[in-house]
Amino acid sequence: MNLLLEIITPEKVIYKDEVDEVVVPTVNGEIAILPNHISLLTQVNPGEMIVKKGTNQQYLAITGGFLEVQSNKISILAEHAIKAQDIEVARAMEAKKRAEKVMSEKSTDNELRLAQAEMIKAILELKVATRHKRR
Amino acid sequence: MANLLSLKRRIRTAGNVAKTTHAMQTIAVSKLKKAQNATVAGRPYVEKLLSVSQNVLSSMDSKYTHEYMKKNNNNKSLVIIFSPDKGLCGGLITNLIREILNYDSQNKDTIYLTVGKKTETAVANLSKELIASFKFGTILPTFDMVLPIVKIIDEYFLGQKVGNVKIISTNFINVFSQKPKIINVLPIEVPKLESASFTLFEPGPEKLLPPLLRHLLEMTIYQHLLESYASEQGARMVAMQKATDNALEITEDLKLEYNKGRQEKITNEILDIGSAYFTYVYE
Repeated sequence: MNLLLEIITPEKVIYKDEVDEVVVPTVNGEIAILPNHISLLTQVNPGEMIVKKGTNQQYLAITGGFLEVQSNKISILAEHAIKAQDIEVARAMEAKKRAEKVMSEKSTDNELRLAQAEMIKAILELKVATRHKRR
Repeated sequence: MANLLSLKRRIRTAGNVAKTTHAMQTIAVSKLKKAQNATVAGRPYVEKLLSVSQNVLSSMDSKYTHEYMKKNNNNKSLVIIFSPDKGLCGGLITNLIREILNYDSQNKDTIYLTVGKKTETAVANLSKELIASFKFGTILPTFDMVLPIVKIIDEYFLGQKVGNVKIISTNFINVFSQKPKIINVLPIEVPKLESASFTLFEPGPEKLLPPLLRHLLEMTIYQHLLESYASEQGARMVAMQKATDNALEITEDLKLEYNKGRQEKITNEILDIGSAYFTYVYE
């Protein structure tokens, strides 16, 4: 049974391959999707997602988005997603610092919102990266 | 003599023009590559977003509508115009302004919002209400440009000050072809699917739909910003290439003329010397 996974972000299609199992954090808690899953549409929470293919496990950091399952095809629409091995720790650290600086200064609403999003992204990337390296 | 000097000066000027336009062309090429990638990559995302919303709506009670989908009785429309900040991009701006004038002559009850300096004055001359005008910038538009625009749209559309929202922007077809286009943004029209298969929603569709539609609105606007930017760079690249070619052609023509003049001068001088010599010898 083949399960097709597609992760699309506004920048590019991050992942498109057949997989065995996908574990995603959603608003209702973490769910695992196996082949022949019922049609499903849900909102994805920022967090770590796992893609299993054979003995291979792929970790990804994902910020909020939407997930759709339909006849063995999973489409994930994410604002931002990155594979664990592509995360650049130094850059994520830097981004976090930058965001912290903006948040500590007096900034407009918009800047604050962007900095917050940036911060969540950076913390998430760091979390996934460190956990992935320990394994 | 004076003629030759001025020719020389003109050759130099044409050469300088060619150098400048060539530099602008090179810049446009590198910007275009980035813009094109971003534009093309963004399309599947927006399409998928729309199909997901379609799916949610199809399985919902037909009575349910979101505020973004409701038609109100106001006939006024809000038109958002995306245009470049800078000129020198061929017929792109002219075409865009023609489209705006055309639209304006048919739809009197309209208020405008512009992004980009180039259409700002044209719209101001329409003597219609211009509620806000933003700069487009000369780099790849970032997502945060969308936020203030969406805020204004929310204020006007959800406040029922306008009945619909449209975008006039240039669609990027390919490097050589960009077309001005009018796009309906609000109310969002989502065609219902005929055969809605059973789908599980977590959380319920009523909770899923609002963030989905909001995101769809933001992404639609962002996508058109990207298209507009890619169009600008494409048009500029082609225009600058033509300008470079023309300048080089003029240089060639002027050089030919200059050499002819120089030759003529030398011939005249020889004739002068010759005739002077013969007059001397035969006297």
